[in-house]
Amino acid sequence: MNRLARTPALISRRRLLGAGALFAGSALLPTGFATPARAEALSVTLADIGVGDPNGDWSRFTAETGNSVNLVAMGNAPSAVVNQLLAGGGQATFDIINIVGGMQKPLVEAGLISEIDTSKLPNWEKNSYISQYLAPGTPGFDFIGFDGKLYGVPTVLQADSFAYLPDQTGELDSYAALFDPRFRGFVALEDNYTTAGQKTALYLKSAGLAQIENPANLTPDELKAVIDFLIERKKEGQFRVLWSSFEQAVNLLVSGEVHVMDCWEPMVFAAAGQGVNVRYAAPKEGYLLWAMAAYLVNNPDRSPEQTEAAYALLNFMLSPWYGATITGLRGYLTNPAAAEFASANPDLFAADQAQRIADISKGVQDRYAVGGTWQNRWPTNVDLYEEEWQRFKAA
Amino acid sequence: MSQSQGAAMARRAALALPLIAVAVLILGPLAIMATVSLWTKSGFSMKPDLSLDAYAAFLGGVRLDVFLRSLWVAASATVLMLAVAYPVAYLIATRVRADLVRTVLFLFSVPFLVNYILRTFAWADILGRGGPVSAGLQWLGLTGGAVDWLLYSQFSVYLGLVTAYMPFMVFPIWLSISGIDRRLHEASWMLGEGPLHTFLRVILPLSLPGVFAAAIFGFVGAFGEVAVSTILGGTGYQLLGNSIVSALDVINYPLAAAMSTFTVLIMGLFMLLWFRLFDLRLFLGKIMGRR
Repeated sequence: MNRLARTPALISRRRLLGAGALFAGSALLPTGFATPARAEALSVTLADIGVGDPNGDWSRFTAETGNSVNLVAMGNAPSAVVNQLLAGGGQATFDIINIVGGMQKPLVEAGLISEIDTSKLPNWEKNSYISQYLAPGTPGFDFIGFDGKLYGVPTVLQADSFAYLPDQTGELDSYAALFDPRFRGFVALEDNYTTAGQKTALYLKSAGLAQIENPANLTPDELKAVIDFLIERKKEGQFRVLWSSFEQAVNLLVSGEVHVMDCWEPMVFAAAGQGVNVRYAAPKEGYLLWAMAAYLVNNPDRSPEQTEAAYALLNFMLSPWYGATITGLRGYLTNPAAAEFASANPDLFAADQAQRIADISKGVQDRYAVGGTWQNRWPTNVDLYEEEWQRFKAA
Repeated sequence: MSQSQGAAMARRAALALPLIAVAVLILGPLAIMATVSLWTKSGFSMKPDLSLDAYAAFLGGVRLDVFLRSLWVAASATVLMLAVAYPVAYLIATRVRADLVRTVLFLFSVPFLVNYILRTFAWADILGRGGPVSAGLQWLGLTGGAVDWLLYSQFSVYLGLVTAYMPFMVFPIWLSISGIDRRLHEASWMLGEGPLHTFLRVILPLSLPGVFAAAIFGFVGAFGEVAVSTILGGTGYQLLGNSIVSALDVINYPLAAAMSTFTVLIMGLFMLLWFRLFDLRLFLGKIMGRR
């Protein structure tokens, strides 16, 4: 499964329209950004999974650089990425792809992305999250780098756990809830071995129920133990459904069809927005950590001017305005300066919006302090993962 | 070249066009698929090879169970669909006033105006624990609490399949029944047979070509189904289509191609048997002969 559908309505339509009007208005005002003289305006093509789009408002980028952004939709599954880049001609037409990171190895080996030169990104050094969470030598680096080299510009950080309906379940603080017989038949998992599978591995390791070295990269034996455990629970009737789309997952919470669900936090925001008393758990075992990365597509035929324009967009995606906007829209951690920027610019972000951005940023940072396991989108035994997940589903 | 020779050439060329189209657009991709099934996966790409590894992975693992389950589900769903579609088609052909037939048939095509995925999702809302069916059963006192088995179960998958493909099956059966010469009914009656025997010995055998055509529509649709099993199947109700998509998700094209090639071969075999046993030209002849 992919994170394609991470695009919930996190703010009300009225607020969104208000913000849109403000953004549009700001584009018309002399904002202090110099527009460099250019012979010809360039268009940077950004392929995105639906998270990195600031609701179509690239006016600040245009004001800064004179260039425009051509946003195209892209799937997040490895197959979608490869199909669009190779078969779909994306390698020749896309400048940047913004997807959930962690697939540098196959992308680099297939020659699909280029190494990033951070000297062309003035905002890189200002982003303390990179050194804090994604530094070389830490598991977080696997979301932006490969083989000691940098390939991705981090655009979003998040720590996932699971959702629950406290009125039905009481307070929950462990992934054990997903497998607790008290909730038999009222549990849903994501149809995805890199999320549900890895959370299960994290739980089994923490609870001492299986010998697991690294939940993010299971050996064949460890993987078999995890899947055997899931199959046993499945046969007992523990799981109601494996969800596979954003709307489906939100609906499961809103209708009360399930009470405990392995899911993404924006689904909790969306369900809460519909009046449901739902919480996103703070599990004692830790979180499933992940990051989105914007990659420069490897296109040898791209002109130096076009590459420069693409770098300018990558730099823009590291800017406080962009970060604050994406945090407000999608509910993820983005930029260390996002909260401060939002509160310092009441003409761009209403007070409650700025507060929301601050709350989200703090919430995710707190979770990062707890830690957990970094999601692995392309484990060493990826084919075996896929086959074992088939075994679970077909059981 | 004489004028008649030229005309003959032109005629041949015109007749060859559909054949070339079939070759290029159907056989060509199938040949590529069969070739890829023998290649080996390497990272994000593939290496040309003559390996049977992908077939071994398919036939030696859980995917063979998925294939067999898909066959069983498609076959049993087809029988169910025929059990519903036949009486419906029969009633339309024999009991509905001639001037209303078009309207009734049109009503059967109305569901297709709504997107198929939306229709399938709608079932999830209708059949859920808090949905109207469960609530209705509770209100009637037929059940003590919310009903679990309506959704994410065999029941919901079969319901989804039947409602998705059964309407397609009404049309060929209706065509077949309505093409039966009414004088044969009368002859049967005059020779002393009652309605049941007339149906069993005259109507049913003569309508079989339509039934066989309908069975193909239903079986092929149900066998290739992906959405119904995903949306209504609950804890990973795997049909072959789901399993192929899953292989594609990790760029395992040789495995996906091997599963597809194997399936095409088996389906080809089924079709061959089907055409041997039941002559579809009977059905096509009926349609062509109608005004």
